[in-house]
Amino acid sequence: MSGWFHGVAFVLCLPGFAALALAMERHQEDRFGHAFAPSLTRRLRVAGWGALLLALGVLVGAQGWGLGLVSFSGHTSLAAGLVFVALLVQGRRQA
Amino acid sequence: MSTDKPAKKSPPKPRGIRQSMSDLHIWTGLLVGWFLYAMFLTGTVSYFKDEISQWMRPEIAHQAQVPDAAVVAQHVADKLRTEAAGSPQWSIGLPDARNNVVSAFWRTPGIEGRRAFQSGTFDPVSGDKVAGRDTGGGNFFYRFHFQFHYMPVLWGRWLAGFCAMFMLVAIVSGVITHKKIFIDFFTFRGGKGQRSWLDAHNALSVFGLPFHLMITYTGLITLAALYMPWGSQAAFKTPAERQELSVQLSAFITPAKPTGQAARLAPIEDMVRQAQARWGRDNIQRVNITLPGDAAARVTVSRGDEGRASVSPQYMLFEGSTGKLLETKDSVGPAAETRGVMYALHLGRFGDTATRWLYFLVSLAGTAMVGTGLVMWTVKRRQKLPDPDKPYFGFWLVERLNIAAIAGLSIAMTAFLWGNRLLPLDLPRRSEWEVDLLFIVWGLALLHAMLRPAKRAWIEQLWIATAALALLPVLSAFTTERPLWRSLLAGDWVFAGLELTLWALAALHALLAIRTMRHSPKPKPARRAAAPVATTATPAGEGA
Repeated sequence: MSGWFHGVAFVLCLPGFAALALAMERHQEDRFGHAFAPSLTRRLRVAGWGALLLALGVLVGAQGWGLGLVSFSGHTSLAAGLVFVALLVQGRRQA
Repeated sequence: MSTDKPAKKSPPKPRGIRQSMSDLHIWTGLLVGWFLYAMFLTGTVSYFKDEISQWMRPEIAHQAQVPDAAVVAQHVADKLRTEAAGSPQWSIGLPDARNNVVSAFWRTPGIEGRRAFQSGTFDPVSGDKVAGRDTGGGNFFYRFHFQFHYMPVLWGRWLAGFCAMFMLVAIVSGVITHKKIFIDFFTFRGGKGQRSWLDAHNALSVFGLPFHLMITYTGLITLAALYMPWGSQAAFKTPAERQELSVQLSAFITPAKPTGQAARLAPIEDMVRQAQARWGRDNIQRVNITLPGDAAARVTVSRGDEGRASVSPQYMLFEGSTGKLLETKDSVGPAAETRGVMYALHLGRFGDTATRWLYFLVSLAGTAMVGTGLVMWTVKRRQKLPDPDKPYFGFWLVERLNIAAIAGLSIAMTAFLWGNRLLPLDLPRRSEWEVDLLFIVWGLALLHAMLRPAKRAWIEQLWIATAALALLPVLSAFTTERPLWRSLLAGDWVFAGLELTLWALAALHALLAIRTMRHSPKPKPARRAAAPVATTATPAGEGA
């Protein structure tokens, strides 16, 4: 498969941003009604950034820095947008 | 971002930097926003311009496999010997995974300037001239997005550059204005009027920010030599220096002095084979031939865009009469390469399908960023209108232009594609009529927007766009031999992909229409508690 790295990057970026969103107090309260313990928040943040960095590593490893950074920019934009929409839709459901 | 905390409760002080930047952002954005929206949207679809062009030439069969560039180049060169006899310069654009035709052009001897070039489309297999319908194809959107239409090309490019510069100012001032770029990263507060619009505008801007900055800046760079020619004018004075500059920028070589001594061209096929061995079978972009038939003939075979984020020329140069390899050009100087990379980043032609979709989607978000910005100008001011039914002229104008520029453009661009299917095949100037049709429909949309109440106009135009987009594959099924189901069965993802995308866009317009219908502007801020505004009652909106 020639484009496998796109799939891997997508699968990493999406939960990456989801974790980063859930590491924010506002979204913890909106989704779960209470703020998380600081340790959990920190772990989420580390996991989120870790997933994004891993995605960057995969893309740069597969495509080189030039194309890898371009792909990374696209994947992060898309994943952030999808997480945003997911939060929005979920918020509507709860309301 | 968070270093200075503008004290919330401090009484009016001298205007802070944020306020100034906010004003700058609002007014630069508004002034050229309608142009920017059109540039963004037509530019966005241009990432699929080759696919659009294929769709607009349904007579030309789907290309299941990329034909061998070497064989194709030879066929077409043979054809050009009669088709372009006596021409000192041929250029043959070869088919690739996204292009099923050969686009060639050649210089007519004795004529100067742009008029001197003639072009033709050839079948890669037979080498014959393609007898398809006369159409501008996806190229129209591409050209329009940086030079507009109905005006001299140079004016259009200056106008585009002016707008792009404003865009750059709007982006930078927007980032400074945005107080909580990280805290509000995922925040959307629905059902709160202006606040919601701002959240949406921020999200669309921030998620794609690297792209938006890149695309605006590199867009300016692509035309920088037009806007600021003085550097190269001062540096390159002699014809030889200018010649060297153009060698750095493009693979087009200028014909030498003809010797007058006739010499048959050596087989082009062999030359292309050598280039294929270097860059890959399907990674040959173009074959340029100067002075064919003369002893001084030269042939360049240039590398495709695939897999390299640069459009700097890379080619092999052959002696035409013997087929001897004279030079392999693999690199250019650092300044030219910088330009090559920026150009490539803007065009995104190097990308595989996934990358192209990412470009398309993020660019679509950029379009929506401009659109939400334009709408927000009216949302913010409507609340302050003494009588919303009788706004002052400026407000009325902005609101109506927004409707035509946003919803109207969707209808107009779709009308262009309808025209491609419906205009009689033997209509003279047919490809120009396609374009005229787009502008006629756009003009009608503006008229409609000015005559109807604003909200009705939005809703009606969004529904018209929905219908036009959704019915286009149906129309195509009746007017061509390639209905959607057949494309799907045949695995023709150019046709099927484009038509399914039209349906996705139709769904998007329907969603916008439904939301606009449901929207009831709040009289005054009064109730702002956790109102489960209209959303629980009507969950159908999400389904569209």
